[in-house]
Amino acid sequence: MLSEKTAVTQSENYWRKHLMLDPRPVREMNQMILTAMTTVNKRYWITVTTLTLFVTIGLIGAWGYQIFNGMGVAGIRRPVYWGVYITNFVFWIGISHSGTFVSAILRVFKAEFRRPITRASELMTTFALTVAGLYPLIHLGRTWRFYWMIPYPNQRQLWPNFHSPLMWDMLAIFTYLIGSTLYLYLPLIPDFAMARDRTTGWRHRIYRILALGWRGSESEWHHLKQAITIFAFAIIPVMFSVHTIVAWDFGMTMVPGWHSSIFGPYFVVGAIFSGVSAVATVLIILRKTMQLDYFLREEHFDAIGKLVLVFSFAWTYFFFADYLTEWYGGEAVGKELLTLQARGPIAPLWYIMLITNILVPWLTLWNRKIRTSPKALLVITLGVNIGMYIERYIIVAGFLTRNRLPFDWGAYTPSIVEILISIGSLSTFLLLYVLASRLIPLIPVWEVHEGQISHTLRRVGQALLPSVSELE
Amino acid sequence: MSKYEHHWTMIVDLDKCTGCQACVIACQAENNIPVVGEDEIRKGRGMQWLRIERYWEGEYPNIRARFIPLMCQQCENAPCEPVCPVFATYHSEVDGINVQVYNRCIGTRYCANNCPYIARMFNWFDPQFPEPLNEQLNPDVTVRQRGIMEKCTFCIQRIRRARETAEAEGRSIRDGEVQPACGQACPTNAIIFGDLNDPNSQVSRLAANRRGFRLLEELGTEPAVIYLKGGESNVI
Amino acid sequence: MSSYELSRREFLKLSGLGATAALISGCTANLQKTVWMEPYVTPPEETLPGEDFWFASTCRMCPAGCGIVVRTSNGRARKIEGNASHPLNQGKLCARGQAGLQLLYHPDRLTQVLKRTGERGSKQWGTTSWEQIVDEIAAELANMSSERVAFLTGRLPDYQAMLVSRFMDGLGGEKPIVYDAQSVLDGYVLLQAATQAMFDDKRLPVFDIAQADVVFGFGANFLETWLSPVAYGLAYGAMRSQSGIRGTMVSFEPRMSMTAANSDRWIPVPAGYEGLVALALGKIIVDERLGHDGVADKYRALYKKADVGAIAEQSGISVEQLRKLAHLFATAHHPIAVPGGVLAGQLNGLDAIKAVTALNLIVGHTGDHGAIFLSPAPPSRDLMQFSPSSFSEMINLIERMKAGKVDVLFVLGANPVYEIPEVLGFVDGLAKVKRVISFAVIPDETTAVSDIVLPAHTYLETWGYELPNPGKQQLIVSAQQPIVRPLYDTRDPGDVLLALADKLGGQVARRLPWPNLVTFIQTRLTSLQILSGNITANDAETFWIHWLQSGGWWSQDTVWESPNPTESFLNTPLQVNEPTFDGDAEKFPLQLLPVASVAFGDGRHASLPWLQEMPDPTTTVSWDTWVEINPQTAASLDIQDSDIVKIRSPYGEIEAVAYLYPGIHPNVIAVPVGQGHTELGRWAQNRGANVWRILSPQTEPETGQLAWAATRVKVEATTKRRLLPRLESNIGVDRAREKGHLPG
Repeated sequence: MLSEKTAVTQSENYWRKHLMLDPRPVREMNQMILTAMTTVNKRYWITVTTLTLFVTIGLIGAWGYQIFNGMGVAGIRRPVYWGVYITNFVFWIGISHSGTFVSAILRVFKAEFRRPITRASELMTTFALTVAGLYPLIHLGRTWRFYWMIPYPNQRQLWPNFHSPLMWDMLAIFTYLIGSTLYLYLPLIPDFAMARDRTTGWRHRIYRILALGWRGSESEWHHLKQAITIFAFAIIPVMFSVHTIVAWDFGMTMVPGWHSSIFGPYFVVGAIFSGVSAVATVLIILRKTMQLDYFLREEHFDAIGKLVLVFSFAWTYFFFADYLTEWYGGEAVGKELLTLQARGPIAPLWYIMLITNILVPWLTLWNRKIRTSPKALLVITLGVNIGMYIERYIIVAGFLTRNRLPFDWGAYTPSIVEILISIGSLSTFLLLYVLASRLIPLIPVWEVHEGQISHTLRRVGQALLPSVSELE
Repeated sequence: MSKYEHHWTMIVDLDKCTGCQACVIACQAENNIPVVGEDEIRKGRGMQWLRIERYWEGEYPNIRARFIPLMCQQCENAPCEPVCPVFATYHSEVDGINVQVYNRCIGTRYCANNCPYIARMFNWFDPQFPEPLNEQLNPDVTVRQRGIMEKCTFCIQRIRRARETAEAEGRSIRDGEVQPACGQACPTNAIIFGDLNDPNSQVSRLAANRRGFRLLEELGTEPAVIYLKGGESNVI
Repeated sequence: MSSYELSRREFLKLSGLGATAALISGCTANLQKTVWMEPYVTPPEETLPGEDFWFASTCRMCPAGCGIVVRTSNGRARKIEGNASHPLNQGKLCARGQAGLQLLYHPDRLTQVLKRTGERGSKQWGTTSWEQIVDEIAAELANMSSERVAFLTGRLPDYQAMLVSRFMDGLGGEKPIVYDAQSVLDGYVLLQAATQAMFDDKRLPVFDIAQADVVFGFGANFLETWLSPVAYGLAYGAMRSQSGIRGTMVSFEPRMSMTAANSDRWIPVPAGYEGLVALALGKIIVDERLGHDGVADKYRALYKKADVGAIAEQSGISVEQLRKLAHLFATAHHPIAVPGGVLAGQLNGLDAIKAVTALNLIVGHTGDHGAIFLSPAPPSRDLMQFSPSSFSEMINLIERMKAGKVDVLFVLGANPVYEIPEVLGFVDGLAKVKRVISFAVIPDETTAVSDIVLPAHTYLETWGYELPNPGKQQLIVSAQQPIVRPLYDTRDPGDVLLALADKLGGQVARRLPWPNLVTFIQTRLTSLQILSGNITANDAETFWIHWLQSGGWWSQDTVWESPNPTESFLNTPLQVNEPTFDGDAEKFPLQLLPVASVAFGDGRHASLPWLQEMPDPTTTVSWDTWVEINPQTAASLDIQDSDIVKIRSPYGEIEAVAYLYPGIHPNVIAVPVGQGHTELGRWAQNRGANVWRILSPQTEPETGQLAWAATRVKVEATTKRRLLPRLESNIGVDRAREKGHLPG
């Protein structure tokens, strides 16, 4: 006979652990979100000011300086024609994969833990893409001629060259940016409506426009759900295509170390690896700074931690496959690349990458305690992103220092301008996110609520078990 | 016979090349290539389209130096061409060489990465020709702005001029009529230029030489520059 | 150029403005605005816009005298190329020759006559007109005893040398002193002395490398800077491609020069032992009676004193290898041994050159193709060739200056403040000279301490002629003519001398009776009209025009002569002393070898940016001064690549960046000459180090020529480093050598 007390403890355990089994009134949740959104303290403004300063220095100051003086102010040189800018580009594209992966794939596979974290990650996608999209411009020798890449009937009577992977890249990024922005926006509509109904003044006016007159009728919900489902399915191939094409920027060339058929999936896995890690990082910070402990719980970090570990496995597999192929291929220049990584000037970076991307996740993330500790997870996921940045740096700037003509090998160190622009772009991302955190409901309340409705604790024999009912 | 009207080809006889740099300066003078200065050279940002690579063989005292002049190889299957998003580099249908349209270039530097010969030079800054040094600029060749990629053109301006002259005189271009600046200056006659479509041209004869090879031939880029291997005499 | 510079865009804007202005002025009659519109460039009236003109002339970037053609359009010189019909260089031109344009259009050129206003060396100048300055100098010279006037020149173009020589002759002063750093590096005087001693003829030897099948170079950097690099370059190309037979080349020298790098084998000989090696080779040939049957016997006396075993030990080349080399040389059909400039840097230079030249005799090929010849002699006294003085005359001049015996010093075509060993105290001597008058194109170290600076035409702005020396198998009188109008208020030094002579009157005016340079040159050419050459003209005017058009006159026939050794030479045994060096071997363990730079020659062209940026052929370094050190030596001194090192000689020290050079004898370090200028325009100033400064002032005993490679030095590491601007990736190149795979 199950005692009443045990039953209570059991269900308390469930509540504490699982958001879905710890329902609160919608009103209360709404209020929590609105409070988080509208609470602005001094620290917030300091952050915003500092970031704005960095953005100004990096994107207006340093980039402007580069445009007016020439690409030479960057550290790139023959034969390393691409450097930190392209590294940043690939990195931010990688980060942008977080949102879609966490949100769309988990949505498609109906992973319930996704519910409170979809918004935060989708937002990352959009902002990371925005920042990534800056880099092809920053990196152009003649930025003021960027529009020559856009296909439109023009007086030059010239179309862009669709043979060029850069053109595919541009198309893929635009598609992804539009798709992911819409995908971010659709589930936001009910939340905007919620905010509209509970705010006054300028917020009310903005949310009224953004809510598109949402009333919450049955047919509106029906259409929204359908649209979200369609987008969730449609955005996944776009996501794969984007990073595959970014990889093809490298893979389609005959540059030693780049020319590899594995690069497409390798880059996609790497992107998801870094993207999911970035989601964890951001969620930990959001929970801390916006008091979202109710919504973001151990179970979420646990799940994300597992994902990070799984993608660490996957990334390692690709890395190893690529490395081994190069090694056994035995081509002279290929071997030089391996020497460069193991003993050359970039060796320290390479070993850091191996530690942060393989050693640390493998040794720690199998442990549930570490997975659910926000501090530990923060360190690990930050490490993964540093490692993934290094991986791209080695591939872009490192491999270019070696080529088939040993006379023309080179060296590369980023210049102050490149570093400032990089900091500026990171600050842009953070600033956008920080500003958005006070304008956009960061937790999709309706999705959480929807999940909570469908979850109940049922008594089966002596045990209390959670059960989920399919709503659709 | 190739599919082009001309198949401009350069023969570089490595046995004759002494590494004296006359070609380098000739090229620089003919093509308005700017001087970039000490610091830029230290960074590896020299602009000379033609460079002479020097490799060492052996150890002291049995050491030899090898010189290889390297310029754009004008590949038939040029890796630089398909990657350019704006058609700034493409294959000339008349001359069969790889053409760079400066005005079209937006500076992605993709072509330069993809060139296995590292033959492409980038204008990291605006070129400087302090007055009156600008008086010397070749009026047939554009001065390139910052942010533009450039490379050896086989002195296309000279090819064009020869063709115009030949057309005006109602004949075809004679062998030896077109000489790029480098070949013209070369004191040892190590650089020979001509039309491979003309079976009687000097390059056609030299191309059949058994010392002939193309650089990084295994990549299948089919360069239009043919090197003649440096000779070996067995000396003590 | 006072014209208002107008771009096309501005033109359109202004036309709009002009139209508006016209409208306004129509209303208000007072408002009168005139917009002057001129094209961006104002071409001289004889030029056709867009059309190219080609002018033939003579290159003066080094003393070789190659024929050039210069492309001009819109009155601007655009490119210098070789003159294809010129027998010396046959349409080819070296890097320095092509960079001549940058001398013409150098932004730091002297544009007007400068007269010192401040302290000497303070570089405070006033300007004055040519007329005034000529009057002033003439007045000064007129009131002066002629032995107190000295004229110091570099190796001038023949026409200028003739005028200077006649000028000094007319004044009754000493002969002009010709100190030319390039000629010193080339061993010009020693070569002359050697031919004098061996063949009783002062003409320079010419080596027919083109038709040789085995070339032994002893310190001969003939592909880079030595005497006539383009002509020898052509010959080298021909030597490598003789039908069926590929010529073989072996180089003997302590440092692998570019020429040695192109040899089939470079044999590192300790500095100064090249002549001894030649002696040993000769001894073996004579002893073993190699070469043409019996020829060697005739020369047995020459090698009486040679000891092959000892030489093998000293030079580190085994007797076995010496024998192999001797066989290679003597059994060839057309072997040739070339004594180069590097030999001339040693105190045993003259004997070494003789020993090497003798190798050509004992194999019995003189008079055959692929052998040694004498440079053609000028056809008449009107076209004399002038050669450098010996260095002891220079020392003598410095002593005279120091003793206050020189009141007026003219400097033309030389930069003595820069290119003379500092210990000789030229600058101290200069301080005692009342009036220093320099001619220059770009302000240099000597003009900085002069009283009057006379801006000279570049060779592209003036007239002249040149008899290339060494020449080719034809006699050549190369033409020089203005390619563009003078850019500034400059004059040819020859014209200045003529004007001075006119002012001075008397004996000087009688020695220089011509009104201008052109008349003078035309009188020089009259002797050529009757000779059979490329020009047939009945009158002087036609000859002149053809001469200018074809870039010179050259004889139809081959005029090369084979030298005949004198009896006294044949009967005196050759002797080459072991080299000695200035400085204590304990304190200064290394020998310093200054290297003539492929880019700057003796340093005079360091002002030109193309040449500054031109990679050195063997090290690929540009813009800087480096010191080549054998990697072993560097390791023992704990010096790494790119370390800044101090090079200390008994006479001073300089700093240079270490380049670990695998092609240099461990006891020798090499420093290229040419950098370390304190003047010479924006690109040369304050860059690198000047190796001339720390050289020993020793001279070769017989000729009195500067032994510029006989200085011992010590190399010390400093804590500083400076990456050399170099084209090569040294990591990559080292890897390629390690792995043994080169592209191609």
